[in-house]
Amino acid sequence: MPWLRLDGRRVEIHDGDTVAAAAFRAGVRTFTRSLKAHRRRGLYCGTGDCANCLVTVDGLPGERACVTPARDGMQVERETGWPSAERDALAINDRLHRFMPVGFYYKVFARPRWLWPVAERVIRRATGTGTLPPDAPTRRTPTRFVRVRTLVIGGGVAGLAAAATAAGEGSVVLADEAAPGARATDPAARDAIARLTAEARAAGAEILEQHAAIGIYEGPAAALLGPDELVEVEAEHVIVATGALEAHGVFPGNDLPGVWLGRGAARMTAIHGVTIGERVVVVANTEEGAHLSEALRATGATVTLVTGRVLEARGTRQVSSVTVLTPEGRRAFACDALVLSLGWAPRDTLLRMTAEPEVVGAGDVVRPGSTLAEAEASGRAAARGQADQPTEATSWPIAEHDGYVCVCEDVSMHDLERAWDEGWTSSEILKRYTTATMGPCQGALCSRHLAEHARAKGAAPAARGRTTARPPVRAPRLGDLIGGVHEQVERRTALHDRHVAAGARMDHSGVWLRPGTYGDVGEEIRVVRERVSVMDVSTLGKFLVAGVDARTLLDQVFPLDVGAIAPGRARYLLALDEAGYVMDDGLLAALGDGSYFLTSTSGGADRMEAWLRNWIDRLDLHVHLVNQTAQLGAINVAGPNARDLLATLTDDDLSRAAIPYPGHADIVVAGVPCRAIAVGFVGELSYELHHPRGRSEGLWDVLLAAGEPWDIRPHGLDALDVLRLEKGHVYLAQDTMPDDHPAKLGLRWAVASQKETFVGKRALERMDALPLERRLVGLRFDGAPQRGHPLAVDGAIVGRITSCAVSEAAGGPVGLGWVRAVDGAFPDQLTAGAVTATVSPTPFYDPEGMRLRA
Amino acid sequence: MSMLVTCPTCGRRPFTEFSFGGELRDVVSPDTASDFERVYLHDNAAGPQRERWFHLLGCRRWVTLTRDTGTNRVEA
Repeated sequence: MPWLRLDGRRVEIHDGDTVAAAAFRAGVRTFTRSLKAHRRRGLYCGTGDCANCLVTVDGLPGERACVTPARDGMQVERETGWPSAERDALAINDRLHRFMPVGFYYKVFARPRWLWPVAERVIRRATGTGTLPPDAPTRRTPTRFVRVRTLVIGGGVAGLAAAATAAGEGSVVLADEAAPGARATDPAARDAIARLTAEARAAGAEILEQHAAIGIYEGPAAALLGPDELVEVEAEHVIVATGALEAHGVFPGNDLPGVWLGRGAARMTAIHGVTIGERVVVVANTEEGAHLSEALRATGATVTLVTGRVLEARGTRQVSSVTVLTPEGRRAFACDALVLSLGWAPRDTLLRMTAEPEVVGAGDVVRPGSTLAEAEASGRAAARGQADQPTEATSWPIAEHDGYVCVCEDVSMHDLERAWDEGWTSSEILKRYTTATMGPCQGALCSRHLAEHARAKGAAPAARGRTTARPPVRAPRLGDLIGGVHEQVERRTALHDRHVAAGARMDHSGVWLRPGTYGDVGEEIRVVRERVSVMDVSTLGKFLVAGVDARTLLDQVFPLDVGAIAPGRARYLLALDEAGYVMDDGLLAALGDGSYFLTSTSGGADRMEAWLRNWIDRLDLHVHLVNQTAQLGAINVAGPNARDLLATLTDDDLSRAAIPYPGHADIVVAGVPCRAIAVGFVGELSYELHHPRGRSEGLWDVLLAAGEPWDIRPHGLDALDVLRLEKGHVYLAQDTMPDDHPAKLGLRWAVASQKETFVGKRALERMDALPLERRLVGLRFDGAPQRGHPLAVDGAIVGRITSCAVSEAAGGPVGLGWVRAVDGAFPDQLTAGAVTATVSPTPFYDPEGMRLRA
Repeated sequence: MSMLVTCPTCGRRPFTEFSFGGELRDVVSPDTASDFERVYLHDNAAGPQRERWFHLLGCRRWVTLTRDTGTNRVEA
């Protein structure tokens, strides 16, 4: 016979057993200890709705024993109580409970202040549940996405009928909710289920077994949790047929082991053949409860069936007597099991989670206590667009003075009364103060009782509703939560393998992986300044702007004078947003045929495309915009020997007559067609070679081989950061802030103010009328500064260093930074800690730009 | 949160494929004073609002649609 281990003890497993059934048969009555008072808790709902039987299964905490199939060799541990669930020293809390009223931890340990951290540690230990071992393996539940016409949640009679009917109209997915309901015990229900399952399958519905919805979202969409997958479903129609469970009874002693909800008791008896007690009292206000007592009698138990209201249950380790107010009066019974079938509580959390009209209910969830025929009709009607409106058939039995309302969080009637008296007079606030409904079952048992209590106490209409339903309905594991999260996007250029082979340190730069350095930053800088170097700049945003309105678009959007760019020439380009703030920068090259080639920053490429397409759309222009970012590779050949190097690889004219600065020409380098753009970001003679991406590696290899006479080597981002800083060039985002207009950056020259219109022009006019409150300046330091360090005048902070480096070419430490106006004037001497910063004109290196014009 | 946006090119697609372009506003304003309102003083409606969405992870087309900001329901 197969067996599992429960707290080290060997427990036999019968065919079809759940963990709970096997454990109960072996004599286990206490499955958990309650959160605060450490009261014994046993099997209660038996259908996976409450949190009374959470155990650790094979190292995974928080598994519901009553719906987890038992398997041979399983390791099960009870996870609450100290030292054990059976003998729990903390049960003393139950005696002390009157000294620990609701919210006591907010008050008792509030003063002195040092007490709280100590108390918190003790409280956390006492109230803990399962433990996730620190070395637990990371699991990521595989996720798949499904789009269907109809999603049915619930595999009961109503759900299957809905799926079978809806399948005639289009695709259907049914999640069976993995929540055993009426179907398990009633033979007629089992027959109906079998018939409807066959009908639904034949009609083409896909049935996902052991899948439960954890939430319904706008769309409508739903997340379904299966045994080893997470399914995200988008559906045009959602039919919720999650059924109902018995109403939670609130009376003194209602949480004793041996008190059962009817269907849980029915499952134990009918499916697992477990005798739940010798002397059973069934309090039944439903028809199903009466049938249930027959089934219990068949197990040989002495069964007393009564109707009425439970006044009190008593017992120590488990229930031993119960007092019921029957129509004949008050009656007391000795018993070892008390079964409650007081009324129906629709499992309507999913329905209440959304206001989407496409989400409807069917069966018990909207008409609690339906017959099988009614449930089937309700399901078919919902599939035809004639869903039943929810009705609340049962009024909620509330004890006057005691009993646990929220079993998960140990919140009693007494606590609710007390919270009310303290002034928490609405259901939502009662919830937050007492934490009722906030436990693992998420109010499945008690959310109605809380609202009913608020209503009975006379809360205002807006303050007595049921608390807002939110995902998750069921507790997902951490692996499920990260299941739909995708790895970060990572883009590589065509030269990635070359960089790695050359020993580069690859850095994340936005979505790109780019070489930071190949080893020696100082040498990389010197190579650019003194000889010749190459850099992979394929990440630049690259766009072809063509069509009859190409020039109109660029003229209307950008602040530069597009008409002034002759074919073959290029200009620095600022992109302003409608508020006049600098959004991006790049280069605009005029091609001979009236079209333009535009580059943007690496990180700004997607935004630039969206920006331009928006204006093409809104201004109703005829423009072909081709994003060539991924299509073209780009290598910048820079340094005083750049022309000498390229001359060995091309027959084309590289002189300033053929490729002016700033300008461009189409040339062929070692057989590779290139658009060579003469630019000056690093401040040396340079040619940015834009070429078909598939030719990148060949071109790179040829350039490095041909550069050997000059001892060529590539440079990375670290070197670039210094090279551009020496030229005073701004790195957008590093040196700028989101509300920088060009004047603050010293880039007013890049704005052709005489133009009649461009995006941001009016905003710039407004800002030009105001005094400049801060600006970006060049700085020279008398010591080694730190990026991000505040800049001060007479001890008052007026700025911040945004970039800095010790520069050989500039003859010392230089940087860029923000400076605020002091008394209407910009200071020219500041301190950064012990370092003195002097405002200096930029560029720091080759201010006349003779080198890049060479 | 989940939401479907109807793209004229690609059909109903998850909103996570799109980037939000804000509420639909005029592209020009008659004078500098009203330009300030156009740029900064958005309606920020609680309810149906005309909006622009860009199908970034799709056909890269802009879509103008009406979304109810209270319920996230989208009409084409």
